[in-house]
Amino acid sequence: MQIAVLYGTETGNAEMLAEDIASHLSDHDASVTNLSDFDPAGFDAGTFYVVVTSTYGDGELPASAQPFAEAMEAAKPDLSGIRFAIFGMGDSEYPETFNYGGKRLEEILTGAGAERVGERVTHDASGSDMADDLALPWIDEILSTVDA
Amino acid sequence: MHQIAIIGAGPSGCFTAQALAKLLPEARIDIIDALPVPYGLIRYGVAPDHQGTKAVIRQFERLFERQGVGFFGDVRLGETVNLEALQGLYDAVVLATGLSADRRLGVKGDDLPGVLGSGVVTRALNDHPDANPVTISERVVIVGNGNVAVDLVRLLAKGAGEFHGSDLSEAAAVQCGDVRRIDVVGRSPSDAAKFDPVMIRELGRLEQAAIHVHGLSGEGKIVEALQHLEGHAPEGATCEIHFHFGWTPEEIEGATHVTAARFRQGDARMVLPCDTVLTAIGFEGDTPGADAEGFIAPGLYATGWLKRGPRGTIPENRADAQGVAARIAADLATVTPAKPGRDGLLALVPGAVHYEQWQRIDAAERAEAPEGRVRRKIPTIAQMRSIAQQTGES
Ligand SMILES: Cc1cc2nc3c(=O)[nH]c(=O)nc-3n(C[C@H](O)[C@H](O)[C@H](O)COP(=O)(O)OP(=O)(O)OC[C@H]3O[C@@H](n4cnc5c(N)ncnc54)[C@H](O)[C@@H]3O)c2cc1C
Ligand SMILES: Cc1cc2nc3c(=O)[nH]c(=O)nc-3n(C[C@H](O)[C@H](O)[C@H](O)COP(=O)(O)O)c2cc1C
Repeated sequence: MQIAVLYGTETGNAEMLAEDIASHLSDHDASVTNLSDFDPAGFDAGTFYVVVTSTYGDGELPASAQPFAEAMEAAKPDLSGIRFAIFGMGDSEYPETFNYGGKRLEEILTGAGAERVGERVTHDASGSDMADDLALPWIDEILSTVDA
Repeated sequence: MHQIAIIGAGPSGCFTAQALAKLLPEARIDIIDALPVPYGLIRYGVAPDHQGTKAVIRQFERLFERQGVGFFGDVRLGETVNLEALQGLYDAVVLATGLSADRRLGVKGDDLPGVLGSGVVTRALNDHPDANPVTISERVVIVGNGNVAVDLVRLLAKGAGEFHGSDLSEAAAVQCGDVRRIDVVGRSPSDAAKFDPVMIRELGRLEQAAIHVHGLSGEGKIVEALQHLEGHAPEGATCEIHFHFGWTPEEIEGATHVTAARFRQGDARMVLPCDTVLTAIGFEGDTPGADAEGFIAPGLYATGWLKRGPRGTIPENRADAQGVAARIAADLATVTPAKPGRDGLLALVPGAVHYEQWQRIDAAERAEAPEGRVRRKIPTIAQMRSIAQQTGES
């Protein structure tokens, strides 16, 4: 199964995690792409998407995910048959909008007909967990159900 | 192998190293800092109660721990080494030393005792080794309408119990402990204030400060966030915060010490009695005249606040650093590597603090964290050096 890791970031935390997920999944030859370079027309049903995004401003998507959100809004592609897992990055110092970026992106994808696999998990920048320690077991678990 | 030196281990320097390590995996990259400890304003500017923002450091740790980037601290450009020597040692030298001097208010009395710049104060509250302790009295006027002004409001208005999980030291807590009234005054109208709405929103969680917002005008996210704050009045509040918009500073009054700050709006005057004036109106300093890609002269580049001026957040520095790194990589494609790099540097500055030594300082700071704090920063250069030089496992 082909795996594509897509990330939205501002200061690079989500990018580093996306790269770590991809190297962890090296058996799958996973690619890593910034959402700012990803065209919604490029979704492919044979690929499993792992999406990692942070949150900014008032619970908004990070800068690198915004062009993607706009392109989705404009193109309104039909993503039925597309499967994805999503991992959010946020900071509980912003309790009212904690991890809204991940939530937003999930809504955009499922709103277009894509299917979320597994739970959406969130990393808290103010917490003591390293993002990798949460995300790598999370993706292994998800892929064990998808591979089957 | 190309040898690249980056001067300044703040976010701009570290992001430049990160981008260069990707573009030029063969190159050897060294980051040099005047302090024995890395990370610049992430460590000494970003507020002690914003540990999540400081967590970007985890990316930089990877550079030093896994990607072979060198850290050499306690090496000050212009004192310990000069630029010429560095250019002799490295194929490319990137200046990322930031800009840290407070911009002065530029009105009569702005040099009176009791008037403090936000850089001086935030360095003191972050235990910067070059900072002297500051005295902040009961009635404080903060001039400025940016995020640093909000950081100051929050740090001064929080009670001792509101710093859980931060790295605010006991010494810093004493300096900002007794404030009873804070007036925040901005020159522009409220809809042009440069606060981040999310930072304003955070003030709504203060547990012992009552908040009043005067003179709101216009609309937009900031105005909405400010409207939301008006009337915040936790039970038993011990501190009052007043926001004022559209007032231009006219004079700081006082004979031997600040007694009041005077502002003007058209023909109207506002006089705020106070013992401390904090100016949070930005920073200044000379920039080396780099172009948009950071190029100054062959082999010499600038990035970050030093390049663009003292504006912009950590994400902006990352984008900028990536652009500068791309230019350096393109330029180095035509340069044959023949310089000594790190070996030459270490011969020149044998006393440099290496990354492993910083890790020892880091470990000591974490180990000595008081209850409810994530670390206690080592406050002086002498103590940092002494921990760095301890041998063996500790
Ligand atoms: C009080 C304050 C709070 C802030 N809070 C936030 C925030 O919450 N979020 C956010 O995104 N941004 C924040 N910012 C902005 C952010 O800190 C800057 O955008 C960023 O730090 C600029 O990075 P820099 O690397 O260019 O400079 P700096 O971070 O200043 O790094 C410069 C480095 O160069 C070193 N240096 C200086 N001179 C020499 C020399 N002669 N030789 C060798 N080394 C030298 C210094 O020791 C320092 O380590 C804040 C800024 C301030 C002032
Ligand atoms: C200005 C600013 C605003 C933020 N707003 C939110 C927010 O509303 N909700 C949230 O969960 N996290 C918020 N965060 C936290 C980031 O999402 C978190 O630090 C993340 O790890 C950043 O990842 P990145 O480096 O990939 O951009 C904010 C961070 C900053 C600096």
